[in-house]
Amino acid sequence: MDLAIRRDSPLMRLILDPVNILLMILLGILFYLVLWPFLELVLHTITWGDGDRRLSRDAVPGEYTWFHWLQVTASPLSERMLYLPLVNTLITGVISTVIALIVGGGLAWCVIRSDMPGKGWLQPVLTLPYIVPSFAIALAWETVFRSPKVGGQPGLYQTVLGIPPPEWVSYGTFPISITLAMHYFPFAYLLVAGALATIDSQMEEGALLSGASRMMILRRITFPVVAPAFAAAFVLTFGKTIGQFALPFLLGAPTQFHTIATMVYANLALGLDSMAYVLAILLILMSLLAIWASNKFVGNNARRFETISGKGFRSRQVALGGWRWPIFWSVATFGFVVGILPLILLGYQSLMLIDGFFNLSNLTMHFWTGQSDPEIAMGEPGVLHNANILGAAWNTIELALFSAVIASLIGLIIAYIVVRKDGNPLARMLDQIAFIPFLFPTIAFGAMYLTMFAEARGPIPALYGTFTLLVLISVVNRLPYSVKTGVTAVTQIGRELEEAAEVAGASWGRRFRKIIVPLASSGVVTGMMVSFVGVMRELSLIILLITPSTRVLMTVGFNYAEEGLTQLSNALVLIVAMITIAGELILWWAGKSKLVRLREKHS
Amino acid sequence: MASIEIENLTKRYGAMTALDNVSLKIEPGEFLVLLGPSGCGKTTLLRCLAGLETPDEGEIYMDGELVFSSKLKRIVPPGKRNLGMVFQSYALWPHMTVRDNVKFGLDVLDISESDSNGRLDQVLKDLGMSDLQNRYPSELSGGQQQRVALARLLATKPPMFLMDEPLSNLDARLRMDMRVELKKFQASTGSTTVYVTHDQTEAMTMSTRVVVMRDGQIQQVSPPSQLYKRPENTFVADFIGMPRINLIPANQSDGKNHLYSNGDIDIDIGWDEAPSSIVVGARPEDLKISKKELKGSQSYEVSSVLPNGPETIIQLTKGGTILLARIGHEIDVHEGEKVTVQFDQKALNVYDAKSGALLGPPIDTDRTN
Repeated sequence: MDLAIRRDSPLMRLILDPVNILLMILLGILFYLVLWPFLELVLHTITWGDGDRRLSRDAVPGEYTWFHWLQVTASPLSERMLYLPLVNTLITGVISTVIALIVGGGLAWCVIRSDMPGKGWLQPVLTLPYIVPSFAIALAWETVFRSPKVGGQPGLYQTVLGIPPPEWVSYGTFPISITLAMHYFPFAYLLVAGALATIDSQMEEGALLSGASRMMILRRITFPVVAPAFAAAFVLTFGKTIGQFALPFLLGAPTQFHTIATMVYANLALGLDSMAYVLAILLILMSLLAIWASNKFVGNNARRFETISGKGFRSRQVALGGWRWPIFWSVATFGFVVGILPLILLGYQSLMLIDGFFNLSNLTMHFWTGQSDPEIAMGEPGVLHNANILGAAWNTIELALFSAVIASLIGLIIAYIVVRKDGNPLARMLDQIAFIPFLFPTIAFGAMYLTMFAEARGPIPALYGTFTLLVLISVVNRLPYSVKTGVTAVTQIGRELEEAAEVAGASWGRRFRKIIVPLASSGVVTGMMVSFVGVMRELSLIILLITPSTRVLMTVGFNYAEEGLTQLSNALVLIVAMITIAGELILWWAGKSKLVRLREKHS
Repeated sequence: MASIEIENLTKRYGAMTALDNVSLKIEPGEFLVLLGPSGCGKTTLLRCLAGLETPDEGEIYMDGELVFSSKLKRIVPPGKRNLGMVFQSYALWPHMTVRDNVKFGLDVLDISESDSNGRLDQVLKDLGMSDLQNRYPSELSGGQQQRVALARLLATKPPMFLMDEPLSNLDARLRMDMRVELKKFQASTGSTTVYVTHDQTEAMTMSTRVVVMRDGQIQQVSPPSQLYKRPENTFVADFIGMPRINLIPANQSDGKNHLYSNGDIDIDIGWDEAPSSIVVGARPEDLKISKKELKGSQSYEVSSVLPNGPETIIQLTKGGTILLARIGHEIDVHEGEKVTVQFDQKALNVYDAKSGALLGPPIDTDRTN
């Protein structure tokens, strides 16, 4: 029995196996960073907090209570705090998703299955709105449709037409739905395009040979194959729209139009933490419900639709005939209006000395290169001189770089464990936990980390207000994607390549460094770039966790927009948009297969 | 050179038993081939030797040292077993040059740079790869990749080689050349070699001994010639040989002990001690075909003629019995012709009808040489 503790005994080998050690460590870390914060969030909402004394005389800090839940769901406040925002969330979510699906699906068909000209450069243009920060589109909308009735300077609409736009065009359901659809249609487009591309023309040709008509083929073959992707695209897009914060906030808050996501923010701003957290939980539940419905409806895991095969085989293309050029011009015009025009508007607006006056004498470079002038924009210097912004820029790059590198590396290690320990229940659990952040609406995820890291817990200090916390949440938020990228990369590395090194006596660490990392690198580096760009344009995720010392470009831009310093905010968003577009262009050129590249880009 | 001893090795995957109580002794310097249909456990056995799989039961000794024991709970990891392995895919690291591929094993051993460079140059030169050492595997032909895999094997001078179907990815012609090369390679290094294949020609041409496996069990361990001439059961008899052996179930005819019949044909096995129900094994070349009536021969119809270069395979039918025969150019037959057949009594093997085990007849000296 004394032999049992020898290093070469099976038990010790199992315990000392570095992969097993990593598996256990990662399980622990992910439990701490994914599941625990959720429990903490739930716990926070059913516990009296210190600040609750001003809300209720019964408050006993530390005791359990349903007070917050009742306040949110069944009190005089409920209508304004929950039910109206809920209705708004659902309406804007459904309308924007439907539009995004129709537009995205139609475009996908044109690009994948028709002989429309100019596909090569139309495709990147059509994905532009999804690449730029979501609230860039909201800002562009404001530039055109802002109404002085609510406050501020008139927009382009009023300048040109002389009359203010109707309020429903400026703020509320309509603009939010439209701008959300504008931001998310490329997402639906990518999902449907992926499904369309997997249709082997031979399926259709087979039916054609057996005498089926074109309509019959469309109805009996093409549509059933694409239908699951449509259903999944609906649910995934809807899930993303309800978690959007900045966009509905900018186009809704001025008229007290709230969604659940903006209500979370508003409640936190008022110091009603627990109410905000109840709303965050409801938001998570909505997202879970959507994913559950998708699984139920499609009968499969939502992830399947993210890993739509990237194998670019040629499918038979439908000849558009006389419609070829009219369709091309429509698509090109649409691409210009949603992809390029908003950026031009932002750029133009950032050059206006006095907001809202669209004539050449009003143009200035002040907001870009100007020195501080107390007369203009509360003395804020131009973005290229502004120490505040330069600090934020540095923070942004650091955050995006750290997060992308760490997320990719951890994603690769998790992917390695998942692939190589296929069938091990603990490895499967690791895979599943790493996927969970995908289900959290980003603002709710931020709320979770706010409760989790607001105070010190055991050996972990209070991380609120630190840069580390931003890196942590960005890494965990990117994990579902980086694990997926990693799995694709590791699956392609034959087991024998590693075994050859094992027989040669190389330790696991050496094998991982010398064999796995170099061979997975091309896929992982691509994933890293995608994460870098994704983290850079992220706002909803970190808005609740930002403090002045950890500000990043997006939050500074958002704050400027909140304060009405629109030129500065536009200039900033434009900078972020240019960086993300540059990143995407690099990926575009580097990418081997367009679809492979596109499907990675869900963020 | 090292010996390998395998004792009562068992490996299960769930309900499936991949290795069933396998015992085997491999002599130093031997070229042992594990042969069998896919799923027979040959690769599992090789991987257990390498340490890439952990058996459930049994012991493995290498060079007298215990490297695996289920009882003593001892597992020596692959890197410490002092062996080299060639994989089916060669497993060349695509991101390393030929030289770096070969050098990897030396790096792991922490050999000084000058020693390792000297050794590398020698190995690359021996295998004719010096000019290609800075190329990447994808820039090499199949045969060259194979040679890199061998160079990698040789670099660390292991006393044992394990090879998992190393030639299966090559085209037929190259495979022939590489067989010769591999055999020379093994002979020159003298390393004990265990070689897995499902290709019996490979097994027969290269090995000193062949282990035939089926369903996780060893069926026979013999030198190749004996494996062919005297398969120990009907499975091995049937598995070895192309075209396959004629296995004729037959019952003793009345009167004479050495006369058997299956209803269509009569066979004189020339042995009196066999039981009443047997299976007669006759290789296609053990059937003597003639167009003349001979004493003790029987008349068959030629139902198919398959010429194949130096030889011709013909299918013979008599009643419901179909036999294959191998003939040379000395006789010319056509479909539908009648021929007579004589069995070469000395080459026949007799198997038990129930168990399929070899019964006899007793070995003649000229039968096994």
